Amino acid sequence: KSYKEDPPPIFQSWNQMYVFVLVLHIIIVSLFYMAYS
Amino acid sequence: MSPIDWIIMLGTLLGIVAYGVWKTRKVDSVQSYLLGDRDLPWWTIGLSIMATQASAITFLSTPGQAYESGMGFAQFYFGLPLAMVILAIFFLPIYYRLKVYTAYEYLESRFDLKTRTLTAILFLVQRGLAAGLTIYAPAIILSTILGWNLQLTILFIGAVVIFYTVMGGTKAVSVTQKQQMIIILGGMFIAAIITLFKLPEDVSFSDTLNIAGKMGKLEVVDFNFDLSKRYNIWSGMIGGVFLFLSYFGTDQSQVQRYLSGKSLTESRLGLLFNGIFKVPMQFSVLFVGILVFIFFLFTKPPVHFNKGNINSLKGTQSELAYQDLEQQYDRVFESKKIAVNDLMTAFDNENQTAIAAAQTRVNNFQEQENLIRTEVDNLIVKENPSAKTKDTDYVFITFIMNYLPVGLIGLLLAVIFSAAMSSTASELNALATTTVIDLYKRSIVTEKSDAHYLSASKWITIMWGGVALIFASTAGLFDNLIQAVNIIGSLFYGAILGIFLLAFFFQKRDSKSLTLGSFTGAVLGAIAVGLYTGELNADAAIFGGVMGGLLGLIAIYAFFRGISSNAVFYGAVLGEIAVLYIFYLNSNGTINISYLWLNLIGCVLVILFAMILQATGLAGKVNR
Repeated sequence: KSYKEDPPPIFQSWNQMYVFVLVLHIIIVSLFYMAYS
Repeated sequence: MSPIDWIIMLGTLLGIVAYGVWKTRKVDSVQSYLLGDRDLPWWTIGLSIMATQASAITFLSTPGQAYESGMGFAQFYFGLPLAMVILAIFFLPIYYRLKVYTAYEYLESRFDLKTRTLTAILFLVQRGLAAGLTIYAPAIILSTILGWNLQLTILFIGAVVIFYTVMGGTKAVSVTQKQQMIIILGGMFIAAIITLFKLPEDVSFSDTLNIAGKMGKLEVVDFNFDLSKRYNIWSGMIGGVFLFLSYFGTDQSQVQRYLSGKSLTESRLGLLFNGIFKVPMQFSVLFVGILVFIFFLFTKPPVHFNKGNINSLKGTQSELAYQDLEQQYDRVFESKKIAVNDLMTAFDNENQTAIAAAQTRVNNFQEQENLIRTEVDNLIVKENPSAKTKDTDYVFITFIMNYLPVGLIGLLLAVIFSAAMSSTASELNALATTTVIDLYKRSIVTEKSDAHYLSASKWITIMWGGVALIFASTAGLFDNLIQAVNIIGSLFYGAILGIFLLAFFFQKRDSKSLTLGSFTGAVLGAIAVGLYTGELNADAAIFGGVMGGLLGLIAIYAFFRGISSNAVFYGAVLGEIAVLYIFYLNSNGTINISYLWLNLIGCVLVILFAMILQATGLAGKVNR
């Protein structure tokens, strides 16, 4: 490979990082869904 | 505007530009001019991506949109994080492995020159027009409210951007965007805090939420499926993913931002940073609009926010009718204010019956106000048939100019100008890069020195700046053109994305083609189910099911065959023609589909046509 694929910071693999991002997003959307109508 | 505001505004704007030009004074090769030496860390990439996407209109219109119709617009961005993850997995490694300057360069190594040239030209047409609008849209609003000369405002934004973009290239764009984004985020944060303090003392934060909720402004998430409605969770999650995949993955003005990253890791982190923070940022900007809405429940707003339209009524036959409407509006406003206070008292007493009664009264008065506003709109159109009566873009700037303290006005104008400049700079920079790399150096003047292409890049940047300025200064003459440019992205993005998806996923015996085909099939199935539950429309469910199954079969076929470059090229041409035809049907009222869905439709049609051409043997042999 002519480029280097390093693991991401904090997480052990990129897949873990992607799952974290998507779960965080789902939590944010759930908060939006959650009272004043 | 006070002298202090002028000093803060001009000092901020010109300080950032001077810093950007000084930092990039040593740029002396095409590589560093167009890719900025590839040394950006992830947080600069992230800020740069956000600054490119957020134009002045984001900060002028978004609060007004919340004021008018609530928080639903936040759903537009719900698909963005998923798009960022897909880009990080599939698109970035390929761009990095091939060390490309532009996204379209990759298409030649995968298919052939004509596919690359077609895609580059589609991009240039769309972005070249959009760059003019990025300048025009804030200039018309600011010149109306502040009484500035429109052409001078356009020239000021354009000239400053062209100056630093030509001087320092990509690096100047990134360096200035970092500073501009800090000003933008800081300015909006301070504006939100000050607005909160501007509310009457007896209105607490929970009162604000309660009132806004009872007036229907806090409906952030809408699960109703309706193809003709612009923002619900389905159009955001499905249409949005396709829009943002093509915008961030194939639009050079974004691709160039992360291609100048230090490494694949830094670029990925920059995209994911954007994915996490974009939705909360838009939510916050919308929430500022809600605060302004609550503020105007206790302080009388103008009956119409576009001052220019109201001034045009003076001395006409409608002036008396307007004054009469204004007096009616005053009376309704005072009644509404009493009802809002009753609503707050009912909340304090937790008296559900009183809450419901007050809520009905408040919303009735709000309805009456809206009717009066519509009548004023009719008067404006009667006196000036070509006038624009939509005044949501003017709400936030009216609030800034009339109710925010000296100093903060200058800062917020710097925010609006910074947002306009950061987007325009990215656009001009990307237009020049694509023109030089994909057209000029590839097909027109191919064998020259590095110095020749460096100076060509600078001249071509100036040329695109000129095109944007000319378009901006004449845009006011073509109302329909402005609307067209706003949706032009949706007309071309789908087809461009279709070409890229074919490139990435349709390799022989490659499980990715199966994944994509099945995914697209599943999406169509989901749309069908949504239609079925939303409108009990059995035809749509059958249509979606058949299309989904067909795409699944085609994916299996692609798994064994791959795709030829001719199939892609002609599939793209046919798909684009089909999208334009759908747009034509939409504009004459035969069908009614929100523009966000055109991204998905264009993308699926290009893939479908390419596969059909391949399957029928019309397209020649496969290359991979």
